[in-house]
Amino acid sequence: MTDVRAPEADPFESAAEPDERGTPNRDPASGALGFTDWLVWGWRQLTSMRIALVLLFLLALGSVPGSMLPQEGTDPAGVQQYYTSHPALAPLLNHLGLFNVFAAPWFAAIYLLLFASLVGCVVPRTFRLVGSARTLPPRAPRYLTRLPLSAEYPAALDPARAAEVAATVLAGHGFRLRRPADDGEYWLSAEKGYLREVGNLLFHLALLGVLVSVALGGLFGYKADRLLVQGTTFADTQSALDEWYPGRLVTAADLGPFTMTLNQFDASYITSGEQRGQPSSFDAQVSYTTHPGGPALAGNIAVNRPLSVDGAKVYLIGHGYAPIFKVTDARGQVVYNQPTPFISGASGNFLSQGVVKVPDAQPEQLGFTGVFVPTAVEIGGVLQSAFPAADNPAVSLIAYAGNLGENSGVPQSVYQLNTAGMHQLTADPQLLLPGQSLKLPDGQGTLTFTGYVPWVSLTITHDPGQLPALICGIAALGGLLLSFMVRRRRVFVRARASGPAPAGTDGVPSGVHSTVQIGGLTRTDASGGFEAEFAVLAAELRSAHDQAAANRQPEGE
Amino acid sequence: MIVLVATVCAGAALAVVLLTGWATGGNNGVTDVAGSTSAVLYSAGHRPLAPDFTGTTLTGARLKFSSYRGQVVVLNFWGSWCGPCRAEAPTLAVTAQQYRPDGVAFLGVDVRDTRASALAFARDFGVTYPSVSDPGSVITLDFTAVVPIAGTPTTLVIDRTGHIAGAVFGTATSQELTDILAQVTGKTAGAVTS
Repeated sequence: MTDVRAPEADPFESAAEPDERGTPNRDPASGALGFTDWLVWGWRQLTSMRIALVLLFLLALGSVPGSMLPQEGTDPAGVQQYYTSHPALAPLLNHLGLFNVFAAPWFAAIYLLLFASLVGCVVPRTFRLVGSARTLPPRAPRYLTRLPLSAEYPAALDPARAAEVAATVLAGHGFRLRRPADDGEYWLSAEKGYLREVGNLLFHLALLGVLVSVALGGLFGYKADRLLVQGTTFADTQSALDEWYPGRLVTAADLGPFTMTLNQFDASYITSGEQRGQPSSFDAQVSYTTHPGGPALAGNIAVNRPLSVDGAKVYLIGHGYAPIFKVTDARGQVVYNQPTPFISGASGNFLSQGVVKVPDAQPEQLGFTGVFVPTAVEIGGVLQSAFPAADNPAVSLIAYAGNLGENSGVPQSVYQLNTAGMHQLTADPQLLLPGQSLKLPDGQGTLTFTGYVPWVSLTITHDPGQLPALICGIAALGGLLLSFMVRRRRVFVRARASGPAPAGTDGVPSGVHSTVQIGGLTRTDASGGFEAEFAVLAAELRSAHDQAAANRQPEGE
Repeated sequence: MIVLVATVCAGAALAVVLLTGWATGGNNGVTDVAGSTSAVLYSAGHRPLAPDFTGTTLTGARLKFSSYRGQVVVLNFWGSWCGPCRAEAPTLAVTAQQYRPDGVAFLGVDVRDTRASALAFARDFGVTYPSVSDPGSVITLDFTAVVPIAGTPTTLVIDRTGHIAGAVFGTATSQELTDILAQVTGKTAGAVTS
């Protein structure tokens, strides 16, 4: 159905998109305009749907460098590395704020403009909605048969009674009615479907809500990572977290004071068929306290099944193996005895790499680099892993002695060995099975591979914007659906006397018959269905009129 | 309409926050140690009470922190895996010896570590004072409630009443320790010449 113009001045019609109702003849380019006109024009542009969409697109576009370039907040080391590898480009990018996109002034500008655009769109819209809800529908047109949908039938009722019956029927359907002041005409205007604007408004408000929620998450949320070996405990405090990415208004004191112990981690894998080696289940059994000295609670964490503690969610995001090494130095002292997490790549059946640093071995510091394989096989003389479960675990290590470079006070990664100040003790990688030892040359000591335990990597997130964002998202969808499904529609009824009153005994115009005209129109009918609704209404009106006529006939005769 | 007004107000507040950043309040009662960026002194009346804890030392003895009440205690959070801790270890070992006659006790909290590595560290650096094992950072967590411990090393100086009088966040220098201890013990540390 094409856009239908109501025949009379109509607030409903003027409630069009700002784009449509803009003032085309007041474009600044067209002639002399004052400062205020420019301001009005600018505001109209900003709050137009077109600009809002452009801003939304820019917001998405602006986030792209945030995922392509290393960011200060999440990867300061990556930024440093970028500076060394691109010495000319990096300062320029830094100047543009591309290493901290979400804090960059231009990003904030887009965000705030979008916010202003939405507010500027929603506020006038609300007033228009309230206005249109308070304004009565227009008078019924004179000739209803000219409307897109119409019906006409005779009724054995006088026009006043016919209009009254029609009013009862339409009011029963939830229509808002307008009836003439006593001017000798009998007509009725009825309007329905105000929920359409409400839905539209809800959609815009919910979009604002999503923006606010995202900002809430960015300001008050945090994300942290921690690798936890089976049998060990960690506390949710900054110094015990491996990585911590606080929101702009978050301090270390905002971390929930929980502690968590990984009691056991089980992973099972499909053992046969094409899916062989694919994980079938993960289960981390933990015990935790929500505050220091609190009771120990038991919980389970699996992939996509986080545990909620202290308002934070603890996700299981990875796992691996930590071979246990015991190292004695040249003096026979045990200088190292602990599980050491080895890290696996994306593939390779948990072929994992790691390092062992023994800074307090005498006479020289010791270091080892190597791999752990859960199911060791040799393919072409190369150690590989045939299955992710630990069916035949083995390690292969190269030993070094010398200066680890730790004592200078510079923090080091526990997964990297700086061999610059070290010399290699063993020429080839030495393969060890559980219980086997590697004797270092010249009586420098012994390393024993005593076994292994699993580890899990946990991500702790707190996002106060998550729930509001979800609610707002659902509300936006609901609003959009409402505005698509609900039509603003009008039904008009007119009753005219259809003939001279037959000579009655007492002059009561009981025998007056009417011609009832019904007309219907809807402004937009994207979802269709008004035609059917109109047909039903028309039939109902007709039967109500017939019924009313039948009821009064006996007493009239 | 109320919802709308609330949303607009929230938006405006948000804009102000985003544009200006959060104004941080002054740190009442906390002063920097002269010439240091990472050491602070808490003035009397603003000293946070140190939480009590019990633990097992590296040599297997039970230790209750409250038994140190009445003594000035230097509490050092460290780990054998931590490079900056290795760098400051000789300073701490020497300072502990120097202040022993003044009745200043040194105590370590060995964080995210194992007994074998920690004992080897103590042997290596000649650390003679005890350390309590804190593999799960639980003691650290207790202290984080009163002082902002961001990692190891962190050194706290606790007065005779069990209140935290000074702190060094990061590698402690001999000068920083001396300055804080001079304030807390009320002596200008005759044992130290620097």
